[in-house]
Amino acid sequence: MTAADVPATDAAANRRRARLIDRAPFLVACVMLVVLLAVYAALREGVFTLDELNVDTAAALTLILAATGQTIVLLRGGIDLSIGGMISLGTVLAATRFGDTLAGSAIWTVLILLIGFGVGAINGLLISVLRLQPFLVTLATWSILSGAALLILPIDGGSLPGAWMSAGNATLLGLSTSVWLLVILFVFWLWFRETRLGLTIRATGSNEKSAFLSGVSLTRINVATYGLSGLFAALAALYLTTQTGTGSPTIGKDYILPSVAAAVIGGISLFGGRGGLAGTIVGAFILTIIGNLVFVLSVSSYWQPVVSGVILLVAVLASSLAERSARRSLT
Amino acid sequence: MDLLQASAVSKRYGGIAALSGAEFHAAAGEVHALLGENGAGKSTFIQILAGAVRPDEGMINFDGAPFRAANPSAAQAAGISAVFQELSLIPDLTVEQNIWFRHEWRSPLRMIRRKALREKTLELFARYAFPAIAPDQEVRRLTLADRQVVEIAKALARDPKVLILDEATSSLAPRETEWLLGLATRFAGEGRLVIYISHRLQEVRQVAKRVTVFRNGQTVAAHDTASVSDDEIITEMLGRRMERLYPERRDTATAKLALKVRGLSAGSRLRDVDFDLREGEVLGVGGLQGHGQRELFQALFGIGKSRGSIELWGREMTARGPRQALTGRDGIALVPEDRRGQGLLLSKSVRENLTLAVIPRFSSGGILSARREKALVAEMMTFLRIKAKTPDQVAGTLSGGNQQKVVFGKMLLTEARVLLLFDPTRGVDVGTKGEIFTLMRDLAAKGYAILFYSSDQPELVHVADRVAVMQNGRMAAILEGAGISEDGILRAAMIEKH
Ligand SMILES: Nc1ncnc2c1ncn2[C@@H]1O[C@H](COP(=O)(O)OP(=O)(O)OP(=O)(O)O)[C@@H](O)[C@H]1O
Ligand SMILES: [Mg+2]
Repeated sequence: MTAADVPATDAAANRRRARLIDRAPFLVACVMLVVLLAVYAALREGVFTLDELNVDTAAALTLILAATGQTIVLLRGGIDLSIGGMISLGTVLAATRFGDTLAGSAIWTVLILLIGFGVGAINGLLISVLRLQPFLVTLATWSILSGAALLILPIDGGSLPGAWMSAGNATLLGLSTSVWLLVILFVFWLWFRETRLGLTIRATGSNEKSAFLSGVSLTRINVATYGLSGLFAALAALYLTTQTGTGSPTIGKDYILPSVAAAVIGGISLFGGRGGLAGTIVGAFILTIIGNLVFVLSVSSYWQPVVSGVILLVAVLASSLAERSARRSLT
Repeated sequence: MDLLQASAVSKRYGGIAALSGAEFHAAAGEVHALLGENGAGKSTFIQILAGAVRPDEGMINFDGAPFRAANPSAAQAAGISAVFQELSLIPDLTVEQNIWFRHEWRSPLRMIRRKALREKTLELFARYAFPAIAPDQEVRRLTLADRQVVEIAKALARDPKVLILDEATSSLAPRETEWLLGLATRFAGEGRLVIYISHRLQEVRQVAKRVTVFRNGQTVAAHDTASVSDDEIITEMLGRRMERLYPERRDTATAKLALKVRGLSAGSRLRDVDFDLREGEVLGVGGLQGHGQRELFQALFGIGKSRGSIELWGREMTARGPRQALTGRDGIALVPEDRRGQGLLLSKSVRENLTLAVIPRFSSGGILSARREKALVAEMMTFLRIKAKTPDQVAGTLSGGNQQKVVFGKMLLTEARVLLLFDPTRGVDVGTKGEIFTLMRDLAAKGYAILFYSSDQPELVHVADRVAVMQNGRMAAILEGAGISEDGILRAAMIEKH
């Protein structure tokens, strides 16, 4: 049927409704964040201050960076478990190789980023050339990278240059480095999603066969997708060292599932093609605030995963309801 | 000089020969029809031309030089654009993003220029007088017909020398079909080539100057369209003579009501519909496309929310939903519009697809009887002439028409006696079409009740006992006897009623 066959106003109203349904998971996430913040504010003073923003963003940023890579992969319709290994390896390399000189830090920063991209690119190659499941390939590389991290530094340790630490915890105009980095990240995203690469990644996740028939090289897209994910994992590792001041060969695993959870809570579809970074950021903040709440309530920290799980269920429910009503409005 | 020459093109899929030595010659400036029964190798051939499939053997000359496209974009760059039978749009992108996908205009910062997309889209739509479609709509929200139109826009956007249309009219309404035929003629008139695949000879006669006929992966004939009769073409396609397409009309309707529908409404697209469907009757549903026919079928089958009363064999239906299909002889079975999306599990075998909805029939005391299943599947495959190497061939690898036959067979196996057939012959070759119509009449004679929608108007005229014409979600008229004609349907569909 063509649009001409139905009254124009009807069609426009339908389209508006459909858009709203599409955004429902994201909106639900925003509502959940607001509710959590309200609860948090009721329990503690000074929640709505710049200080709190700085602190919470610093706490959330590693996860946000890791989840940005995960978001790109999820939009492509894949999953990347190897970011856990890459984050561990990144912190270990930084803590053992930076030394005291600025030059050393700079060179190794670049090297770590290159390793992140390279490892991701290899993931992408293995997935497309050998036609293996992303889950299995990245499970394997996660294991390899974790092993490598443990070989370099068997226990937490090493150290970071003082200048590196203070750069990561500086403030400018009242906002901490972490907030500025978040702003830069978001600007990057606003740009990236409008580029041909950004669109193609999303398109390929939406329907791989169609994308291929439209001339997309699946190998190249996978290399770019997983490469970016590895790059963001490396960034997450580098940022993390400014917060912990050490290298840790096992810390990365704490970010694997949360990075997926943050994205899903924010409305990214596990089937690819739908969602954006704003949702992921909201999701990551939700998980962070849950941590804060558990802390101020001084209950067992094991409550944190329980509450996170419940929130995840609510989010998944919201998106599946939206999906269903979208399908109904289609018929 | 021929613009395109292909000789001895072969392609095998495992043990299946899709093409074995096909020949094809076409000149610039013509609309060239490619005909053949389901599974003859038409789609495989054009997929090779368009770079989506690599041939095993064969030579292709294009524009005077040997041609081999490694992938679809290489073929497009060389000037060959195809609208594939199974659509290749990206559901989560908008219409305009799809049309210019991978060819977007970009700003100095490498960002896609949305305004340019919009302008160029409207320009393209205007240039070829496209039916109205909102450029910012996401494709997954479009109807099949609209998706088809967008796909055509996408092919034209590359400004090709050769435009390939693989059953592009099969999901279009008459009005859009006319538009596309006009477009093809005009396109060829500009000195370019259109390769036109369709199972509707009427259309082929209307646009194509030449026809090439494939059978079993080989070229059996090539003619000027004007120099052959339909009968000759059909005989070439099928390798045998076909007696007649439409079966004799017999009045088999009884007084017993299979369906009594009163005040059926759903959303804004289906409003207050009343009608009766009698045992032994084929009731056609006509009207311009998009006037509530789809919604009617879905509401009857229990998809989505609806209001009103539906009596099935005299009993008010309460629990609605696709499970009706499982309740055997008293149930309702549906052949849905979108076979790949709704009708088939593409990655499952033909056998599994056929028996999916009727597993209880093969299990006695919870144990599946493999033998009974096998026998029924074999019977259904011979009956519908489903061209698959074995019942275990994956459904997604069947030719388009054969996929449609599997959907039809799946519905027949449910044994439900109220059948909702939404465009059941879409993409089916003439031979099988004739068999399906005969089957419909035979089923009606056995006491089945059939509601039948077709995007091909003559089918309604020749097969249905009565035709209900829909307009703006309402039943505008029900035509009977001598009142049934293409003209009559069109008139009833167009008369303004408020
Ligand atoms: N990927 C595949 N794997 C196995 N067999 C295939 C594959 N693609 C096509 N075939 C087989 O090749 C044969 C030719 O198919 P093709 O799609 O070219 O037919 P067609 O002439 O387009 O038929 P239709 O009119 O039904 O669309 C069919 O028997 C089909 O089952
Ligand atoms: Mg075909």
